[in-house]
Amino acid sequence: MRALPALLPLAALALLVALPAAMTSPYALHLMILLFLAITQGESWNVLGGYTGQYSVGHAAWFGIGAYVTMMLLQFHHVAPWWGMWPAVAAAAASSLVVGSITFRLRGPYFVLASIAVAEIFRLVALNWKDVTNGAEGILMSDLPPLQVAGHVLTDFTSKVPFYYAGLALAVLTIAVNWAVHHSKLGYYFQAIREDQDAAHSLGIALTFYKNVALAISALFTACSGAFYALYVGFIDPATVLSTEVSVQFVLISIIGGIGTIAGPVVGALVIVPLSEALRANLLSDVIFRLHLVDETSPAGLFLKDNLAHAHALIYGILMVVVILFMPEGVLGFARGLLARRRRGHAPPVAEGSA
Amino acid sequence: MATTPILEIRHVSRFFGGLAANSDVSFSMEEKMIMGLIGPNGAGKTTLFNCITGFYPPSRGEVLFDGHRINGLAPDKVCKLGMARTWQKVRPLAKMTVLDNVMVGALARTNRLSEAAELAMRQLRHVRLDHKARSLAGGLPIGERKKLEVARVLATQPRLLLLDEVMGGLNPAESEEIIQLILDTKRSGVTQMVIEHDMKAIMRISDRIVVLNSGEKLAEGLPREIVANPEVVAAYLGESAE
Repeated sequence: MRALPALLPLAALALLVALPAAMTSPYALHLMILLFLAITQGESWNVLGGYTGQYSVGHAAWFGIGAYVTMMLLQFHHVAPWWGMWPAVAAAAASSLVVGSITFRLRGPYFVLASIAVAEIFRLVALNWKDVTNGAEGILMSDLPPLQVAGHVLTDFTSKVPFYYAGLALAVLTIAVNWAVHHSKLGYYFQAIREDQDAAHSLGIALTFYKNVALAISALFTACSGAFYALYVGFIDPATVLSTEVSVQFVLISIIGGIGTIAGPVVGALVIVPLSEALRANLLSDVIFRLHLVDETSPAGLFLKDNLAHAHALIYGILMVVVILFMPEGVLGFARGLLARRRRGHAPPVAEGSA
Repeated sequence: MATTPILEIRHVSRFFGGLAANSDVSFSMEEKMIMGLIGPNGAGKTTLFNCITGFYPPSRGEVLFDGHRINGLAPDKVCKLGMARTWQKVRPLAKMTVLDNVMVGALARTNRLSEAAELAMRQLRHVRLDHKARSLAGGLPIGERKKLEVARVLATQPRLLLLDEVMGGLNPAESEEIIQLILDTKRSGVTQMVIEHDMKAIMRISDRIVVLNSGEKLAEGLPREIVANPEVVAAYLGESAE
C-alpha cells in the first residue's frame, strides 16, 4: 500500500508520454498543452507564493521577460529559441534579484502592491519602447526553425506533438523543483519565513537572501513558461503576456489548488484550464439556453451570448471568493479534510460536502 | 576581572520618537551565569532584548558580544554568532510540525536535514516534547508551545540565550518544568538572561539581577541585595523611596 502513492505519478507520467500516439485531435492536444503550461505557471509561482508566503501578483513580469526576450531574439536576430530562451531565463532571474532586493523590504500587502507595480513597469516599457519590442503591435513569429540534432531533423514543429512533449517536460521539471525545495533546507527556511518572519529571523535565517533565492527560482521557471507560451502561440503583445490578468492567473492556479503543496497547482490547473476553455467556447451560455433558463433570442439571451465569453475575469473572481471562503486550503486541502473525516468514521456534513 | 564578559552593554539607549524606551543602560555578564532582568510593565525589558539581538539597533551606546561590537548586525547574524532569543508572545511556525520547527533552529548549524532532524529530536527529548514531534505546532497548548520555543532556540546552539517570559501563562507544575530546563541549560554551559515576572522563580534561578524602571537601570546585584533594595520595592509597589 505504501508503494502506491509513489507509483501513481509514474503511471500517470507513462500514460501522458504515450497519450499523443492515441490522441489525434489537435484540440485535445491543445488542451493538454494549456494544462501543462498552467501547471508550470502554478508550480513556479508556488515556490515563492506557496512555500515562502510572498504573494506576488506580478509574475507577468517574469513571464513577459521570458516571452519577449525569446521572441525578440528569434524574430529580430534569428536566434533559435532553444538558444534564445537561456538569455531570456537569465534576464528574468537577474532582474528578479534586482526587484527582490528592493521590494522584499516590504511585508504582506505592501509587497503585493509593489509586485503589481513592478509588473506594470515592465508592461509599460514593452508598450512604449517600440524600437525594441514593437510596442502595442506585438511580435508575430514568422516561422520556427526545425530542431536539428547532429544534422538530423528531430522535428519541424508542423504538429502540436513537439509542443506537447516540451510542455510535459516543463510541467514535470517544475513539479520536481517543488519536490526538491520541499525536501531541502531551502524548503524549511522558506516555510519558516512564510509562517513568521520575525521568528525566522531570530533563528538565523537571512530573510532578504532567502526570499531572493525563492524569487529567483520562481522567476526562472516562470520565464521558461513565458518562452514556451510565446513559441506555442506564435504571437505576443504587452496585453497577452505582461498584463495584471496574467499575474492573477498565476495566483489563481495555486490558490484554487492549494498553496504550499506540490500537487496543489496541478489540481488548480485541472480546474482553471477546462473552465477558461468552457467560457471561451461559449459552453456556459449554451448550457443556460439548453436548460431554458433564458430564451436565446430575448435581449437578455443576446446579452449573455455576446458577453459571457468575455466574463472570465468575473467568473474567476467569484471562484476565488468561493475558494477563499469555503476552502481556504484549496481544493486539495478541502479533499484531504473530507478524506480524513471519512477515515475517522464520521460522514461528512451534507452542507460542506456540496459546497 | 581578567576574562572578557560574554555580553557587555554600554550606555544603551533606544528612542521611539521622543520616548526613551531604554536610556543609558549598562551592565555586563560573565560566562555561564544566569542574569535575571526584572522591572514593572513598560520598563523596557523586551526593548532591551530587541536592542541586544538586532531587531532594533540601539539609538545610542554599544552592545559587545564576546568583546565584539554587534550593534547594527541583523538578527540572523547575531544568531549565527551564538546569541539567540525567545519571544514573550510565542511564535510557533504554526503550519509546520513540532519537529520541523526545531529543525529550522538546528539548520542554523548544519545544512544536512538528517543531522538537523537528529539534533532536533535530541532537543525535543530534552524538553520532553518528543511524543508530539509529528503534531502541527499551531495545535499545541500554551505550556507545550513554550517548551517548543525553548527547544527550537536551543537547537541553534547558542552560547548566550535570552529568555523573554517563558513562564508567562503557565501553571505552577509547568513553570517548575521550565525552571528545571533553565537550570539544565546552565549546567550544559550556556549563559542566560531571563525576563520573568514570577519573583520567586527569578530569585531562585538568577545569579545576578538587573532591575529596569522607566527604561533606566534602577539597580543591579545579587538576588538578596535586590529584594532588600528600597528603591526596587518602591518601583514595584509604587511607594515613594523615603
